[in-house]
Formats: sequence, C-alpha cells, structure tokens
Amino acid sequence: MEQKPKIAFFQCQWCLYAPEDQEWVDTQLPVNIHLIKVPCTGRIDPLFILNAVQGGAEGVVISGCLPEKCHFKEGNLAARRQLAEFSSFLDYVGYDQERVRFVWLDLQDRGRIQRELAEFERKLSKLTPAKTLATRISLNEGGAND
Amino acid sequence: MTELENQIRTEAERLLREGLVDVVVAFRKEDAPLRPQPAFFTRVEDLENLVYDGLCANNLANYLTRFPDETRVGMLVRGCENRSVNALVVEKQHSRENLTLIGIPCTGIIDWRKVVEHTGEDIFGYEDSPDTLTVRARHQTYQLPRQELLHPSCQRCIHPNPLSADILLGEPLPEGDPALIRERVESFEALTRAERSAYFKLEAERCIRCYACREACPMCYCEECFVDHNSPRWTESGTSPAGTHAWHIIRAFHQTGRCTSCGACERACPMDIQMTYLTDKLGKDMWDTYQFETGLDHKTQPPFAAFTLDDKKHFQAGGAQS
Repeated sequence: MEQKPKIAFFQCQWCLYAPEDQEWVDTQLPVNIHLIKVPCTGRIDPLFILNAVQGGAEGVVISGCLPEKCHFKEGNLAARRQLAEFSSFLDYVGYDQERVRFVWLDLQDRGRIQRELAEFERKLSKLTPAKTLATRISLNEGGAND
Repeated sequence: MTELENQIRTEAERLLREGLVDVVVAFRKEDAPLRPQPAFFTRVEDLENLVYDGLCANNLANYLTRFPDETRVGMLVRGCENRSVNALVVEKQHSRENLTLIGIPCTGIIDWRKVVEHTGEDIFGYEDSPDTLTVRARHQTYQLPRQELLHPSCQRCIHPNPLSADILLGEPLPEGDPALIRERVESFEALTRAERSAYFKLEAERCIRCYACREACPMCYCEECFVDHNSPRWTESGTSPAGTHAWHIIRAFHQTGRCTSCGACERACPMDIQMTYLTDKLGKDMWDTYQFETGLDHKTQPPFAAFTLDDKKHFQAGGAQS
C-alpha cells in the first residue's frame, strides 16, 4: 500500500462550530494528518509552517474563522496577510504554493473540514513528492535537535 | 576635503554648538583604506575626523535604536537611511522630534571588494569624485569608473534623495527606475521551481551563521532574535541545511514591508551571499498587494501591522491568494 502524504493541520480552536466536527478532528483524524491546535490563526507564526515543512510535511492545512467571526476580533486578519504572503514566499524559494491550503470556515460549514482534508490529500498524492526543504534531521537519526 | 564634507562638518558643528543635538552619527576616517567607519560625535573638536565619500558602506539608521528616546540624535542620512529611519520611527524606536536628519543625495555606495578585485594590490589611499574613483596603490594609481564599482543594491536604487531630511545638503539627484528591482524579481520568478530552489540552496548553504547581516540591518533590532532563542529552539542553530535555510527564509520574511532595500546585509556578508533577491520579492509583493513602500513617511504602518476588515474580500474558500 502506498504511503499517504504527511499533512500538518493547524486548527484554530474556535473555527469548528459543530461539536461533531471537533470531535472527529480530535479523535478520528487519519494517522498521516498531524493536528496542531492553536488558540487562533493569529498564533501561527510562519516559523511553525516552516518547521512543519522542514520536518517533512508534504502539505500544510490552516483552518480558521472567517473575518468578523474571529473569537479575538482580528487575529485571522493578521494571520491571513502574513500566512498568504509566506506561502507565496515559500514558493519563491522552491516549495510549491499548492501545498499550503487555507480553509476559512463559517457557521454553516458542517462537515466541510473532512471533505477539505480528503480533497487536499488527493491533490497532494498527485503532485511529485516535495523534499526540497525537508532538511531537518530527527533526533534519533543524529540530528542536532528535535 | 570635498565641498560636501565641508558642508556636513559645518552643519554638524552648528548642531552641536547650539545644543540642538546630543550626538551626531556620521562616518570617521579609519587607518584601513577603503573602510570609513561609523562614528558618534559628541564634541565639536572631534568633527575634524568626520569624512563622507562613496565608501561609507554602513546604514547609519542601524545605530538609532542604541539611543534612548530622549537622546537628541543628529544623523547623516542618504536616501535609504532616511527611509530606514522613517520605518523605525513608525515602529516607535525613536521619536521624530528628537531627531535631526542631515540629508545627502547619494550617488551610490562603492563596493570595496570590487575595488580590491580591480587593483589586486595593496591600497594606500583613494579619492572619490562624481565619475571616477582614484585609487593609490603600491605600484601605480588607478582611475576606476565609479558606476561599475557601485554595490548592486545601489545600482538598482529608486530613491537616492533623502525624503524627509531636516537639512538637505547638495543637489537632489534624479529618481531611479523602479523597474530594475522588479525585473530582477520577475526574472527569478520566471525560473522553474527546481531552479529557484537550487539557487536558494546554493546561496543559503554557504552561510556560516555569523549574523553579520542581522547586525548590519537597521530593522533587525530585536533584543532576542528567533535564532538565539533556545527554549524552545525554533530552528537548528548550526550550519546544517535546515538551519541556514530557516535563517535566510525567516530573516527575509521578518523584513516584509520593513526592508528599504539598502543592501547593508549583503555588504556585511563575509560569504558574499545574495539576500536582496528575497527581500525585494517581499517588497514587490507588498507594493502589488497593498500599494505600500517602506519608509516614504513616518506615519504609515506596514501592511502586516495594518490589517483591516476590508481584507474580507480577499478571503477565499480554500485559496491562499488574495
């Protein structure tokens, strides 16, 4: 069986309005998807994304709230400006922009996160594996740090 | 002593004598030829050491954050330095009232490494004039064309004139062509992803992590840089590919909407690593997306600090692009 692409999934803790969705994300996420829960998309530093990419993530998903729906009023606005630019900057140095996906969720988007993740995974498996920036050596392979 | 130098000295002397400033930040002659050094003048007697020519390579705005807000600083500024000062004032690193900017239209900074390459022997002295650089070396005197010796960032300079100097010395110069920076970024963007990646790696992996680029940059004034932080450690700290890539990507990204493209980072780099192609790309994006150019005034916040609800129309389901 072919290996599924590794995905880092940054999730704003407020963006999944339906408890079923949150339940699914918390407990039934496929093993190739690594969940990082954040208090708000504004908390996501570009460094987090770079670290995921360097650690071998073939795709990064960022899910957050729509404008005006942010729990902290404007965290998502700040995040969108920075992270959209960062993904295009990563493209500039050779990491495909298609591999960074934003999902801005609204109140009625029940069940959408599952569809988005599945669709993104299909898209990633069609792309050729990206290893250009996956340069981190893990600790058990003699790397400098984790 | 050139006419311009004389004018700078006169102005600096006046500011110090009248007590309008506590310190004048400018350049001083150094024993090593080709390398005038930044200097802080607090006494009128010291001003005889003040020099100014095309080999003054540092961005003096870098030293602004050394002084507390109350210190009245007089500073020699060229076009790029003036914009850096403006960007620092926006970020509340110094109050504009306590600043006196002595502006000089800049004809470009000469890359001393190019001079050494051209002559290839010990250099004893030099004279800078508008068109040629006269270099006295051990065996002969060289007349080098100034335009060829300029640092690449200065060849692409858009605003050679200080935009908001309090005192302007010398004649204003014509504005540069913004297309030069754009063309460079666009030609890099036109390469395939593999080629871009290869070029980035070739440059970044030469890095010895000395952080000279950070120390030379006026906008890198954080007390603790992300690479110095060790609990948690954000990036690998050695010269491994992961460490050098992360440093070059994030250093450049932290300059988004703040870099004035002065090229001080490249001039400081002992490994001759290209860095402005990264920051220029971010600058170009800021202009294309938000019509923002760094340092044109001392009030406008950079785009990453000035988000508004108007961004709403850029949010797209699943899309990264605005």
